[in-house]
Amino acid sequence: MILVDIWEGTDPRPEVERFCEMWGIQGTILLDPDAAYAQALGIRGVPTNVLVDSDGTVVDVGLVRIEELEAAVARLVG
Amino acid sequence: MSLAEIPVGLDPEGVAVDSRRRRAYVACSRADYVAVVDLETNEVVAQVVVGSEPIDLAFDPATDRILTADAHSDTVSVVDAETLELVATVDVGMYPSGLTADHESRRIYCGNSLGSTMTVLDLDTLETIATVEAEVGAGAIAFDRTRNLVVCVNFIAASATFVDTKTWEPVGRVEVGSGACAVGVVPERGEAFVVNSLAGTVSRVSLDDFTVREELAVGSAPVGLTVAPAHDRVYVSNRGAGTLSVLGVADGDQWAQLPVGEGPGGVVVDPTDGRVYVANAGTGTLSILVDRLSGPPATAAVEERHPLIGAKLPEFSLLDFRTGERRSSREWAERKYIVNFFASW
Repeated sequence: MILVDIWEGTDPRPEVERFCEMWGIQGTILLDPDAAYAQALGIRGVPTNVLVDSDGTVVDVGLVRIEELEAAVARLVG
Repeated sequence: MSLAEIPVGLDPEGVAVDSRRRRAYVACSRADYVAVVDLETNEVVAQVVVGSEPIDLAFDPATDRILTADAHSDTVSVVDAETLELVATVDVGMYPSGLTADHESRRIYCGNSLGSTMTVLDLDTLETIATVEAEVGAGAIAFDRTRNLVVCVNFIAASATFVDTKTWEPVGRVEVGSGACAVGVVPERGEAFVVNSLAGTVSRVSLDDFTVREELAVGSAPVGLTVAPAHDRVYVSNRGAGTLSVLGVADGDQWAQLPVGEGPGGVVVDPTDGRVYVANAGTGTLSILVDRLSGPPATAAVEERHPLIGAKLPEFSLLDFRTGERRSSREWAERKYIVNFFASW
């Protein structure tokens, strides 16, 4: 899982730090402060999950509900 | 149909309409001000500094005041709509995030998320009438004057608390979906509609026996809701999808799902002309829409397949928050993975 922070409007670092501390988030977090990458992908809201197969193909987009995400991950890992 | 999308400021959340002056007021939570939007010119004409992180907002025509729930100040700011000056600051509970005015009963309700309480203020004197125990994450509030009830939804507890307005005592609770964060009431049906952002649903809740009657489908990550003036539909903003759902009150069907700005949240309808106003936290804008649906459409709304599905993920090169180093998508080549886009608000 790669987390990408977008749309903070201000310096994202203190906001991300506070957010991760509040929710106990660990792992890789990348910063896309002006959301240029998100916009290139057609991301229109948060949270949004993008599932990527081993050949780089996007297999699903969206998947906010935990049961949806779990099912999609199960399909992805076979 | 979208009429306009107006830049207002950082992370706009709560919105209210001043029909007489043809203005909208928008709480820009990351900018600590209320943006005053002239609805004739569709331009921001003033920025009124209030408390820290104003999330929700209400306008009271009788006193001609704008009120904001300032999450980081633990206050409600009060602004004179004529002079656009801050005229009072009222202490409430910890992390106030929801604000709803009952203009007829002359009360304003404030949900204090970290205080797990609801503060009841006199809308005229601004004195505290009561502080009512709710649950953790207390925020959005709606009321049913015919039943002497206030409904406060609790984001973290995933519940709704029902409060008697004669005694200010909780008289019931119901578990709803996770991330409950908005609510609207249709008194003549005896129903509340509770938005569950993490569950991705809207709960139809009975105001008579405090039970969930039905879970309704909307767009991804719904966070805002308002009831249309005719009470035949509710509007739900979908933060994940960047859309506004039109949800039939009687049939519970999603009549339409309309694109708005990115990361939409606060939503309100102007009862004088039916226009819908949506604050978009992602784009920092206010969308104005007109709903031309006279009733349920012949075919229900269908969510379109995202154009990225089936395509190769475009390469990225982004800074790592923890190390400050640039990371490329090539690091994850030949692996299966999830990219989760998020914002801290």
